[in-house]
Amino acid sequence: MLTHVFAQLVLAAEEPTLISEEVSEESGGIDLLLPASEELFAGIIAFAIVFFFIWKWAIPALNKTLAARQEAIADELKAAEQAKVEAESLLNDYQAQVAGAKDEAAQIVADAREAGEAVKADIVSRAESEAASIKQRASDEVTAERSRVAEDLKRQVADLSIDVAERVVGSSLGADQQRELVDRYIDELGGVQ
Amino acid sequence: MELILAVAECDLSESAVCAPESVNDLFEFRTAIFEVFGFPITRTVFLIFLAMALSVGLIYFGLRKKATQPGKFQLSIESLMTFVRDEIAIGIIGPTGIKYFPYLMSIFIFILIGNAFEVTPFVNFPITSRMAIPLFLALTTWVIFVFAGFKANGFSYFTGIIWPSSVPVALRPLVGLIEFFSIFLVRPFSLAVRLFANLVAGHVMLSLLLVTAWVSITTIGDIGAIKGAFGIAWWALALGIFMFEMIVILLQAYIFTLLSAVYIDTSVNVEH
Repeated sequence: MLTHVFAQLVLAAEEPTLISEEVSEESGGIDLLLPASEELFAGIIAFAIVFFFIWKWAIPALNKTLAARQEAIADELKAAEQAKVEAESLLNDYQAQVAGAKDEAAQIVADAREAGEAVKADIVSRAESEAASIKQRASDEVTAERSRVAEDLKRQVADLSIDVAERVVGSSLGADQQRELVDRYIDELGGVQ
Repeated sequence: MELILAVAECDLSESAVCAPESVNDLFEFRTAIFEVFGFPITRTVFLIFLAMALSVGLIYFGLRKKATQPGKFQLSIESLMTFVRDEIAIGIIGPTGIKYFPYLMSIFIFILIGNAFEVTPFVNFPITSRMAIPLFLALTTWVIFVFAGFKANGFSYFTGIIWPSSVPVALRPLVGLIEFFSIFLVRPFSLAVRLFANLVAGHVMLSLLLVTAWVSITTIGDIGAIKGAFGIAWWALALGIFMFEMIVILLQAYIFTLLSAVYIDTSVNVEH
């Protein structure tokens, strides 16, 4: 605040003046309301310079700066929008890829399961078939054995019967006749059974 | 400068306040510091050109970089200019107000800096407290709004004022007369005096309070403790007024610019 006093001191001049408790009304009034010519002239020139500077330089500069900023912001927005679109596109791709991978995995699992089932069915089928074959073979062997045993038995019965008959009859038939007789008998027995 | 001498000779044991003989002594700096082509450069003239240089300089350094990402200073200048453009020029006058933006911006910055000299250290003198500046600017505003009125509305601008169709016929002569005096005579005067008187009052208050405080505090041994204590009270009051004046500085620049825009608006967008 003291600067006011100091500033006045710097520019101080002129003569000592009476110090008064009251401000004189006589010399104060109208002079203050009348513009000093050199100040008016200086004011006109100074303001004209400010006006022309603002009109010709400052406002175009302001407009240019604001337009450039607006353009930069618009570009950035556009770039951001573009980046967003690309990001969304990438996301969609990834999601599609993930979905595809899941489908593929599911397909692989399904295929594997199917293949497994097929292999299993094949193995079971082959096993069944083999078992059936073994069973059949065994059955055939049993049948064959049974036939052979029955044949042997039949022969033995025939031989025994001939022996017995020979002993009973005392005469002997030709061996072939006896055998034919016995076979016929046995067959009849079998047919009765 | 009379004030300084008043300070030198002020005797607070005899008077309550240190004041120059005339209030003019606080404002009249008519002694030429030097001359340029015979033109006297007084302290006030020097300050007027300093205000011009600061107005131009501030805006120049604020806008010269044209940075897309502005710094604080550039942003401040841009904000100030866009405020005057959007809130005053276009805000008051409308889209056509952009034409008057250079003028409104010029008066705003010039008055603001001229006012700010009131509280600027080592200057402490508002150039707008000299009638030359407010009067010149008010008359410029007057010329602009009258010219704009005639340009926008032709002669009906004038007839609309002196014979306002929106009032009853019987009252038209009276209202027309009042409007005529109000618009063509009172407006420029009131515009100038409003600014001038505010700054004069502020300068007088600050000067007298600070000088009296200074003298009373420095001569406390001679005038006694009670009067010396008054000096501190003056000092505190001056500080308060100092803060208040900072608001006045901004407000008066804004009001002058705003009223200029309002006057232009009422001339261009006539509602009779």
